[in-house]
Amino acid sequence: MSRPELAAARALAGRHRVKWWEVLPWVAGIAVFFLLPGYLAFGTQLLIVILFALSLDLVMGYAGIVTLGHAAFFGAGAYTVGMLAQHAGWNEPLSGLVAAALVAGAIGLASGYVLLRTQGLTLLMLTLCTMALLEESANMGHAYTGGFDGMPGLQFLPILGLFPFDLLYYRSQYLYVLVVLFVCFVLVRVLVYSPFGQSLTGIRENVLRMHAVGAPVRARLVIVYTISAAIAGVAGALFTHANAYVNLATFGLDRAAGVLIIVILGGYGRLYGAFVGAIAYMVLEHALAKAYPTAWQLGVGLMLIAVALYARNGLIGLGDALRRRVQAWSGR
Amino acid sequence: MTAALLETRRLCKSFGALEVARDVDFRLERGARHALIGPNGAGKTTLVNLLTGLLAPSGGAVLLEGEDLTELAQAKRVKRGIARTFQINQLFRGLTVLDNVYIAVAERLGAGGSMIRPAGRRADVIAEAAGLLETLKLEDDAGRRIHELPYGRQRLVEIAIALGLRPRVLLLDEPAAGIPSAESHIILDAIAGLPKEIAVLIIEHDMDLVFRFAERITVMVSGAIFAEGSPAEIAANREVRAVYLGSAVDV
Amino acid sequence: MDLISIALGGLAAGMVLFIVSVGLSVTMGLMGFVNLAHGGFAMLGGYVIVLAMSRWGVPFLPALAIGFAAIAASSVVFERLLYAPLYRASELDQVLFTIGLVFVMIAAVTLGVGPETQTVVLPEWLRGQTDLGFIRYRTYSLALIVTGTALVIGLWLGFERTRIGARIRAAVDNRRMAESLGVDVGRLFTITFAFGSGLAAVGGGLGAEILGLDPQYPLRYLVYFLIVVAVGGMGRVTGVFFAALLIGVLDFLLKIQFPKGGTMFIYALTLVLLLWRPQGLFGRRSG
Repeated sequence: MSRPELAAARALAGRHRVKWWEVLPWVAGIAVFFLLPGYLAFGTQLLIVILFALSLDLVMGYAGIVTLGHAAFFGAGAYTVGMLAQHAGWNEPLSGLVAAALVAGAIGLASGYVLLRTQGLTLLMLTLCTMALLEESANMGHAYTGGFDGMPGLQFLPILGLFPFDLLYYRSQYLYVLVVLFVCFVLVRVLVYSPFGQSLTGIRENVLRMHAVGAPVRARLVIVYTISAAIAGVAGALFTHANAYVNLATFGLDRAAGVLIIVILGGYGRLYGAFVGAIAYMVLEHALAKAYPTAWQLGVGLMLIAVALYARNGLIGLGDALRRRVQAWSGR
Repeated sequence: MTAALLETRRLCKSFGALEVARDVDFRLERGARHALIGPNGAGKTTLVNLLTGLLAPSGGAVLLEGEDLTELAQAKRVKRGIARTFQINQLFRGLTVLDNVYIAVAERLGAGGSMIRPAGRRADVIAEAAGLLETLKLEDDAGRRIHELPYGRQRLVEIAIALGLRPRVLLLDEPAAGIPSAESHIILDAIAGLPKEIAVLIIEHDMDLVFRFAERITVMVSGAIFAEGSPAEIAANREVRAVYLGSAVDV
Repeated sequence: MDLISIALGGLAAGMVLFIVSVGLSVTMGLMGFVNLAHGGFAMLGGYVIVLAMSRWGVPFLPALAIGFAAIAASSVVFERLLYAPLYRASELDQVLFTIGLVFVMIAAVTLGVGPETQTVVLPEWLRGQTDLGFIRYRTYSLALIVTGTALVIGLWLGFERTRIGARIRAAVDNRRMAESLGVDVGRLFTITFAFGSGLAAVGGGLGAEILGLDPQYPLRYLVYFLIVVAVGGMGRVTGVFFAALLIGVLDFLLKIQFPKGGTMFIYALTLVLLLWRPQGLFGRRSG
């Protein structure tokens, strides 16, 4: 092989290797635990949002399935854990996570199998309708779900029997969510760098071409949709565990739109986009939204327009562009 | 008469009142070097779309070695050995040239659905993809993204993908369109290098290329087969000439 | 409430849905652009109309005309400056942009006018009830039904009988072929977009009585507009008409009979309908 080819092949072969800076987010996560003990409640919510955004990025950023209904799976996981604790006395957290993943994954499989026959506006509408239906069911089934008020005051057993949930300082919650996020992240990372993950990118880039190389497109989409739903369900379960309550907001369009904004803001189709977007969005929201809600909405709106027009690859994309310019400038 | 490798029987397709394929009985033999020519709008690309399953026919059948493919979806026909290139490039524009061919080879080897092992660990896929780039003189562009390449080079990637599928039947829709004539020999060389058993069908307007490549030529006009025969027969056919001249005058 | 009252009430609401959504349907069918901000134009138009009447004493019908003109004109600016660069962009980018735009519209109205619901003072001749013989019903609702019917007939004639209508239909069915036949699709779209947004503005004003008018209007009704367009089929005026009536009547009926679970039925119905016919009840399957 001549040189450029060899270089390209080597680049492909080494793409999945862990880079040094990939350790940083996790180091930072642990550092926050020790350095910012007063912010662990916020930190826990942030980590949960990151996990949820990661699941959406898998389905939207990599596979190109635009959905406004992903909160359906978040809510499904959240309510599964809540209902198991409230009605079945099943409040062991780790097995609750598994149950949430299974339930959300099953809903993902069923809805994905049926919905992913369609595309464009029809698919968008169908995802919205599915989520709205689940929300309405939770609203109406108040014997099981607590209806409009949800289920407050849930109680869970300590994690692994050793670490009780602490609603005051969120110490155990924070580490618990951090560990689960790490495990799920590793899973997503493996998936993204596999040939399966690459075929998802192919589907997103040119679905006609994927058909024309013999890829079973619909099967791949349903599989990734199911996996993504399961992860979103885990995020929802973590929400219920960490906050000891669950309500209809876990299903709402607000949450679904919010996580979509986060994925785009960070950079879709990029592993760390969920991290960057969630941190940027939630920190800003925390600082601004309560004080100036209308100005916040205006700001978010303008930011979305700017991103759509000029920075389609989000913050990470801007970072890449900046890095390329610096490299070109320093003549490397 | 031996069974053709790929054939159609009374294949029809209409869009409402518009008939784009009329009772087409087309045969592609094993090892064929077959060219499909005709004026614009004759239905050549439509025929390829029907053969590959991108379009469903209104009537008739598509058969591969006697097996009826008419109900099969595109992807399944690719698995049976039919590959094509598109008139307008259908590539993964944000990915590198190597990635584009990798995807095709991975699908062929059944590795496309593998979820655990990283894509980079499949050295066999990478090597084969890199080899295909060499065949089409694309090595220098291996690491560049598609949208950075000039159109002509992109066209070669389109062909590399089709070759990566190691098909039994290769359908090329205007492969040389957009490629500077100085480089069009690259394609001919690549096709000449194909195993003899592969059947190749080319849609082309470049008559030089057609007559250098083809052992058999089919002429389509207005959705139907107008004439068929060896290059010499077609060249001598007055009606074919008239149709081409006539179509230049008609709107 | 008896059946006829329910039917009339639902029809009136459906007419408003139709007037607002028809523009969205045609522009989506024409350009394939997912415009989630369409409800924002309806809201802005509604505000222009209501404020013209309440603050500047403009009479009802001229206010509607002003609303139409103002929103149509400003939508041209939006379209050329902001929408046009995104025609070739991915669906995701379009969704993103239009969500951002609607946020900006809502915030702007909240900051400029305030978060309260706007009240409409109807002119004398539209107040009260009218006696139809078999029933006495709200004059305004009846006027809405008449207006909506007149509009759909007018639009249908426009599409079927005029040249520009033929061009729009051709471009909706097959944009590339229309372009190769010499249709200037870009300019067609600007005109259609302006007209559709203007109609939405009128719908926003007309519907203020029934659907309410406040800054949250676009998001609250977004799903309804999208359902109407998806079920009716993109680019199908008559399809949108019947879909809007269907949704309007159903929603009205359900809110009365099943105040708890009503909306669920609409979502379930949309789900079933779109799965059965993804192109909408009246849409044409592509390819």
